[in-house]
Amino acid sequence: MKKVLIVDDAAFMRHTIKAMLEKNGFEIVGEAENGTIGVERYRELSPDIVTMDITMPEKDGIEALKDIRKIDSNAKVLMVSAMGQEKLVKNSIIAGAKGFIVKPFKEDKLVEALSKL
Amino acid sequence: MTEDFNNYSEPMLEMFMFETNQSMEQLEEILLNIESNSKITDDDINEIFRIMHTIKGSSSMMMFGNISKLTHSLEDLFYFIRENKVYSLDLTKLSDLVFSTIDFISLEISKIEKGEEPDGDEGSLTSQIKDYLNSLKEDNPTGEIILSEDENQHENFISKEGITENSIKYIAKIFFQEDCKMENMRAFTLLRDMEEYISDVSHIPEDLFDDNDASEKIAKEGFSISFVSEENYEKVFSLLKDGMFVELVELEEIEIEDYKLSDSEIKEDDLEEDASSGIKKNVNNSFSLNKNKNIISVNVEKMDMLMDLVGEIVITESMVTKNPELKNLELESFNKAARQLRKLNNELQDIVMSIRMIQIGPTFHKMHRIVRDMNKQLGKNTKLEISGEETEVDKNIIDTLGEPLMHLIRNSLDHGIESKEERIAKGKDERGLISLDAINTGGDVVISIQDDGKGLDRNKIIEKASKNNLLTKSPEDMSDKEVFSLIFLPGFSTKENITEYSGRGVGMDVVKRSIEKVGGNIQIESEMDEGTTISIKIPLTLAIIDGMKISVGESIFTVPTTTIKESFKARKEDLIKDASDNEMIMIRGDAYPVVRLHDVFNLKSETEDIMEGILVMVETEETSYCLFADEILGEQQVVVKPIPGYLRQYKVKDSGVAGCAILGNADISLILDISGIANEYI
Repeated sequence: MKKVLIVDDAAFMRHTIKAMLEKNGFEIVGEAENGTIGVERYRELSPDIVTMDITMPEKDGIEALKDIRKIDSNAKVLMVSAMGQEKLVKNSIIAGAKGFIVKPFKEDKLVEALSKL
Repeated sequence: MTEDFNNYSEPMLEMFMFETNQSMEQLEEILLNIESNSKITDDDINEIFRIMHTIKGSSSMMMFGNISKLTHSLEDLFYFIRENKVYSLDLTKLSDLVFSTIDFISLEISKIEKGEEPDGDEGSLTSQIKDYLNSLKEDNPTGEIILSEDENQHENFISKEGITENSIKYIAKIFFQEDCKMENMRAFTLLRDMEEYISDVSHIPEDLFDDNDASEKIAKEGFSISFVSEENYEKVFSLLKDGMFVELVELEEIEIEDYKLSDSEIKEDDLEEDASSGIKKNVNNSFSLNKNKNIISVNVEKMDMLMDLVGEIVITESMVTKNPELKNLELESFNKAARQLRKLNNELQDIVMSIRMIQIGPTFHKMHRIVRDMNKQLGKNTKLEISGEETEVDKNIIDTLGEPLMHLIRNSLDHGIESKEERIAKGKDERGLISLDAINTGGDVVISIQDDGKGLDRNKIIEKASKNNLLTKSPEDMSDKEVFSLIFLPGFSTKENITEYSGRGVGMDVVKRSIEKVGGNIQIESEMDEGTTISIKIPLTLAIIDGMKISVGESIFTVPTTTIKESFKARKEDLIKDASDNEMIMIRGDAYPVVRLHDVFNLKSETEDIMEGILVMVETEETSYCLFADEILGEQQVVVKPIPGYLRQYKVKDSGVAGCAILGNADISLILDISGIANEYI
């Protein structure tokens, strides 16, 4: 079972993503509400996949992504973006995100994105 | 396989099947040409190569691995032949391989059509093709030199571009899933993921970031990329296909001259590829929409529905304009409007009919293959000549025509055309001839199958018919035509003349029945040692017929107008009875049987005196007779509807009813089956 770490400042989003993924056979090993905690959790838990919100307080998703890739250059990070954040998505891709998904998304899209990582 | 298979949408699968079938037909034509000319041209080789390449690509996209492997091996073979200019080819061997490939693919496609898994094993055929390729390679060592020269040229050319010699140039078009959002960034991600495998990239839209419409454009038109890669087709394809939210990948390998396309070039190319029959390009974008902008393909079911609807409109129109409630009203402007409606409906009907008409050519051309295979099998040398290919017939009728035609051709070749020796002994050309012709005679199409074989033997037919108890009158009284039509009787074809081809357990009676099912009839003319001509007359369309309404008691029947010869009141002195007490009527010196419709359908009618009612003389292929009804109500065009399923349990088939129709006043009328009634009641 794929272990997933969810990084998002909104509890609702964490909850939603968790529910969608658990229904589809993913194991949620941890959650984090900002980039800094996200990187720590990554180090502790070494999950297979990270879903990473882009806009977050303290440390944003792109910075967290860069830090995570310093730990594991092959880390599978899926950015979770909102509409209109194209520049940020571009920067994430350049920084090495494996893919991205745009809110609002449906369960099947999320699952497909994760399975393509 | 199944999962991937299901990922593709129905239209795409349909398009795949349609295009592959078309390619198969094309291929067959090329091969038959090669065989009849006993030589293969450069164009043929190119064309076969191109077709194989296309099917390889599209079948691999559809994940039909066996088809793509098989076509790949044949593609390799023809690549070798083309590149090395191999002229000393065993044409028989070669065309057998290609024919086997056609058969394999056609079988797989028919499985897909039925919703089954295309699971045929291509292995042995593929290895046969590979063996043949290897033997060619051994026999043509010089070819290698030519090939390497060729490659040198390429290398020089490529090195200018700074690309290594193993590079392959590709053009790809990628469509992302609907609603995956930010398509431009999807494209950007894909490019990044491909980075290590590809170089010399250009793409459309060129600007992924500053162009505000880039996302929308990609969503609508796809993301086009041209690039160079050292990876093979399969690898590149799967790299692209594995991209996140990638829905569809169109990938083609191209040759160096065509490489690097600008925006405008790609667009132009898309439109003109076919016209220029770009042999230089190994085109593989089989999923691009129909290139000929003026033609669309439509599902037949939709056409049937449209036809049905038009029929309903025609009926409803007369329900409105001939509504009894309008009787005796002054309706000047209403009538004017009604006339206009009628006119428009007629036009609509004509147009819809014309859309359904397709040319008979392709059905005819399929027969080439049968003649070829049978010639081989039977050691005969028969030529098939085709004319009238452009004659158009309703699509539904064409579909039912294939089998009977095939059977008749087989019969001609098997039983009609003599062996070479026999023909020479008779002073005939060693080569037999079968001509297949179609001609439009107004309301009908007449298809004739003519052979110059030995003809039907009247005595043998009579002998056989009497052995099988099929004779209803003494042979001396029968005309040739009547004798020949005996072979259409069920039970005539016996085991002794069933060979692999004409046999298959299907007799001429089945042929006759399928022709009659589409409202047609079949006739034979034959001359001993001169040949046999079989003519099939079929209506242009089934859906709408001109009918004569006649009443019997409270029921209204429709008689197809084409079958009616005349109608008249009976005179007492003309009425006679035959030996078995059957009613007959004398007209101009001939006696015709009378069939009382109220008896046939067990109806109560006030009019049982034959002098009071009306007699309608109808004719079938075999006979003429008179129907007795109460009165004639008038002519009307009717839309033929099949008899509803729930009635079929009552053996309606031989009941004298061919179908039903709804009349202007919403009454239902049964359409009489004139030959059916003749068979049952005379």
